[in-house]
Amino acid sequence: MARVVVDPLTRIEGHLRVEVEIGADSKVSDAWVSGTLYRGMETVLKGRRPQDAFYVSQRICGVCPISHGHASTMSAEDTYDLTIPNGARLVRNIIECAQYLHSHVLWFYTLAALDYVDPLKALSADIAATYDLALAVAGKYAPAGFDVRVTDFGAVQKRVGEFINAGLNNNRLSIFTNGWLGHPAYPSEMPAELHLIAVAHYLEALQVQAEASQIIGIMGGKFPHFMTSVNGGTTFVPTEEKLDDVLYRLMKVVDFVNNVMIPDTLAIAPYYAKDYPNEGIVSSAAYGAGCKNYLAWGVFNDPSFELTKRYLPGGVIKGLDLAAGVIPGLEDPDPSKVMEYVSRSWYDSADGLNPSDGETSAKYVDYDVNGKYSWGKAVRYDDLPMEVGPLSRMLVAYLRDTEMQWPDGVRTPKQLIDLTLGALGSELGLTGPVPLAALQSLLGRVAARNLETAFVADLSVASVLELVGYVKEGDVKWFEPHSVSDGKGVGMWEAPRGSVAHWMTVEGGKLSNYQVVAPTTWDIAPRDKEGADAVRGPIEESLIGAPVMDPERPMEVVRIVRSFDP
Amino acid sequence: MAHGNHDALYSQLAARGVTRRDFLKFCGSIATLMGLAETAIPQIAAAVEAAALTPRAPALWINGGACTGCTESMAQGMTPDVATVVLDLLSLNYFETVMMAQGGPEMIPGYQEGVVEAKPELTAEGAIKTMLEEGGYILIFEGTVMTGFGGNALRIAGKSQTEELPEICKNAAAIVAVGSCAVDGGWVAARPNPAEGKGIQQFCKDEGIATPVINLPTCPVNPEWVVAMVIDVLLLGQLESGAILDKLDDFGRPSLIFGQTIHDNCPRRGHFENGEFVYEFGSAEEAKGYCLYAVGCKGPQTFTNCPIVRWNDGASWCVESGAPCIGCGNANPLSPGGNWVDVGAPFLNRMPDLPIAGTTFQPSTIGAAVGAVAAGALLVHGIGMKVAGRMDGGAPYEDVRAHDRKKGGGK
Amino acid sequence: MAHPAHYREAHPMVFVLTHWINLIAMVSLAFSGFYIHYPFFAGFMGVARGMHFFFMFVLIINLTFRIIAAFFVKSAVSLGSREVDTDIKNWLPQKANRHQFLAWIKYYLFMKKDHPLGAKYGVLQKIAYIATVPLTFVMAYTGFSIWGPTMDWSFFSAGAGWVGGYMYMRVIHYFLMWVFIVFTAIHAYLANVEGFAPSGLIFAWKESEGLHFDKEGNPAGGKAH
Repeated sequence: MARVVVDPLTRIEGHLRVEVEIGADSKVSDAWVSGTLYRGMETVLKGRRPQDAFYVSQRICGVCPISHGHASTMSAEDTYDLTIPNGARLVRNIIECAQYLHSHVLWFYTLAALDYVDPLKALSADIAATYDLALAVAGKYAPAGFDVRVTDFGAVQKRVGEFINAGLNNNRLSIFTNGWLGHPAYPSEMPAELHLIAVAHYLEALQVQAEASQIIGIMGGKFPHFMTSVNGGTTFVPTEEKLDDVLYRLMKVVDFVNNVMIPDTLAIAPYYAKDYPNEGIVSSAAYGAGCKNYLAWGVFNDPSFELTKRYLPGGVIKGLDLAAGVIPGLEDPDPSKVMEYVSRSWYDSADGLNPSDGETSAKYVDYDVNGKYSWGKAVRYDDLPMEVGPLSRMLVAYLRDTEMQWPDGVRTPKQLIDLTLGALGSELGLTGPVPLAALQSLLGRVAARNLETAFVADLSVASVLELVGYVKEGDVKWFEPHSVSDGKGVGMWEAPRGSVAHWMTVEGGKLSNYQVVAPTTWDIAPRDKEGADAVRGPIEESLIGAPVMDPERPMEVVRIVRSFDP
Repeated sequence: MAHGNHDALYSQLAARGVTRRDFLKFCGSIATLMGLAETAIPQIAAAVEAAALTPRAPALWINGGACTGCTESMAQGMTPDVATVVLDLLSLNYFETVMMAQGGPEMIPGYQEGVVEAKPELTAEGAIKTMLEEGGYILIFEGTVMTGFGGNALRIAGKSQTEELPEICKNAAAIVAVGSCAVDGGWVAARPNPAEGKGIQQFCKDEGIATPVINLPTCPVNPEWVVAMVIDVLLLGQLESGAILDKLDDFGRPSLIFGQTIHDNCPRRGHFENGEFVYEFGSAEEAKGYCLYAVGCKGPQTFTNCPIVRWNDGASWCVESGAPCIGCGNANPLSPGGNWVDVGAPFLNRMPDLPIAGTTFQPSTIGAAVGAVAAGALLVHGIGMKVAGRMDGGAPYEDVRAHDRKKGGGK
Repeated sequence: MAHPAHYREAHPMVFVLTHWINLIAMVSLAFSGFYIHYPFFAGFMGVARGMHFFFMFVLIINLTFRIIAAFFVKSAVSLGSREVDTDIKNWLPQKANRHQFLAWIKYYLFMKKDHPLGAKYGVLQKIAYIATVPLTFVMAYTGFSIWGPTMDWSFFSAGAGWVGGYMYMRVIHYFLMWVFIVFTAIHAYLANVEGFAPSGLIFAWKESEGLHFDKEGNPAGGKAH
């Protein structure tokens, strides 16, 4: 038995501590995830105007401010019983799409890639072979009609080589300082050329994620933290000139997603979907599933504004176990079933409150995994921990596939998943596709995010075209004038990393209560009560059974945690 | 600079797909940011060339109580892009959101027996320790300094951040506070400041640390400003000479960036002077791009060059997207109560809500109430005067002043 | 009833003019100020701002002139008297104002039946007229602190820093306007509530007969000489 702590767990938004117990079989036997920052957003908003919540509450998260902003305006609009005009729906959808594209590209390349790709190995790649491999990957997975992108792999290798040589012995390795370069968890079978391709795309992705956020810049004023989706609609009035700027950038991003990101995923995934017993490596498809309950509020409104008809629809799946063939019925999401528990968190408010009557009363005591150990509340749905995020959304969309009205020209989540499982099956030399059950794993969670990126890329183009059609019709409306009225409301939405909801109570024109359940709140949730029958949070649960090759550098642990994009 | 070095630099740049023209454009944008004339471009180019050929300057990017928005914003810079910043300009040995390393060596009370203590050279915390010994680095601080709950509002590596922060600040050559949270606490310090947040300059003052602080407010920070400051500090040698500190205003901000209001440079200023205003979002006035003053734009008292530098590689900025400025560049480093949220909210009103007796009021409500009370009092008094029969010439005069009578004096 | 005579010596012509200028400037400033605070109709901002700056300078120059003139121009030492002395002596507290503060408050609250004998002005009136001077200069200072061309002069920006930023300086400027509005309302009310003779004199330089007072502000009876 050994204890391993990773604190801070880097390459995520915010500050996170993970503590695991490793059993004699070198597998994680218990885990504790601690949110280590308290700022008190909900307390700050009390007594302010509902109009201000949009601006302030999105600043909870600098990576997904768009989704928080949208959840906030929707909670105000729910309070006022207000429906936004169709023009505003489209503008908001496109801004949200752009954030998804930005966030998922940034996550895969900038945050997560270093867990699977070793820059050190890229240095030994043969440049000619790299081009051959890049052509082969593009030939197989980039959509027909696209040639391989022009990337100067030689220059990238030279740049990285010079960087490492110049920094190695004088403490100038910048962001690679003390990194786990050369970790044995990178399978040796993965060719150096593939490492180099990924490193080159790591650098290119930095440009692409910025292009995606420029779309938000144009339609939202700036990113991070945007300005236009005010209560009642949007302040942004699309003109031909602006739409043209948006579409130009969007096409570049969509091109990257389809011709680089998805092919990269399919090229790298096979090396992580295999066991390498000689190297002590276990397939990433074999662990990391977690609590197996999935929640999605749904995101991207269709004209009906119904949660279950959103283009990524809402739904709740309890106890899905595809490997065992257990596929429970899909439930429609209900915000009144959300409860927050604080007996293991640094709060002294009442246990089991629904956020519409929630309290935020912080009280710190010493960190103790047997007592209170996190600033995160234990949020539960129907008393169950829920995984949120791309995997949840893709599973819900998969199960709702036939009842959906998909927009023209998009590949549906089911199509994308089935295609990918088929491609992976042939890469691995299987007779058929990889079974759907592989989705319930570390690898499945990573794949789901990247496939969702492809779906959102299609949806974003469809949405811009829909907006162009709407503007063409001429009878445009972007904002619904309204007055502030008292009451309670909830806005449910999805950030790239998972379900987000804001609850507000307005009394006398001011906020008498404001509660946020952020995506990370769901996933990093600690245990919900004291004692042995306490239920672990989703990330904690997903760590159980994970192999740990090197307790000093628990790569598998950080991969799992990061796969939630907390 | 020797001709050979020029060639070396340009071949390096060419390897990155950067042309000589791109490079000079970059130098030009730096010149604009620093308020220098175009004639300064060769000087900047020389400085950048010198830096590109010398080892990366040591730096730490530390996140306090942050939303990571400033890191995100940094990644949106394109001239130069973030890769150039972290690979060529600076050696950011600690940068929590993008660094490869993670974790810290630590002992867990009660578990000492079986604890695996990672080697410092394999952890993120270890990277800080090495840099602390070396000293002389640039500290870029993002987010609020969290002092609430004995500093435990933010715990990193098993302890409160405020435990290690004084040493990190002390050993730095300069601190660049990026974003409003780092400058004065930002929204985190807004009433009632539940986690007792403050800016890094205030923190240094409280801890008696003399390291110079450069404040770059707005929420998040604009990446162009960070780059400009890094160039200023690093390349033009303005830290050693102290020149950079002379360029800071009363709020510790570089006055070349924060010396003029948004209103001064706003493209909609003409509509303001014409009295052409947006009174409601989505209106015909909005479609015409009229001035947003009447829906609460804080441009007139917000000192940033947003209309010139713009956001997201110049794609747009708040006002251009039809949204009134919310004054996120407001800065009060040594007075956390002056954060942009308390000063600017309600954002769609002209003036802030003032907290009085547990609730808040608009100044116009207070003014009108005072006016109404005065008018009412005069009306009542007038009725009294009428009733008392004093309307026509007032009451008869006393024959002797009351005071004189009491003294027994007077006439 | 008892009503003092109003002679031209109380307000020499030059002060009638400065009073007129004050009135016009203040009304213009208040109106344009309200408009700048919130443009309640379209198309006037440039004019409103022009008005505001113009009358701001008019008010300050006029007030400065009025103060200087107070040292050279002679005005009546008391109401209902033609006897004159240097105006500043009659503006600042006079001997007869002493110990009268409570008496005036009691009179205005109907707790004292007979009219207190003032000097040239009653105690509260003097306080108000003297306070107007620094108040106007403070008002001007707060205005310059939020006016583009001067807001970054360190003399003004220091003040903005001291009150917590330009926004709060704006709020103070706004509240001070209400102070002026309330002052003007009370001033106009008290000056006219017992008859319009004071207005006749200050606006139209029109004399009216009534009680006579000696140099000390005591009733002198009969006609003045």
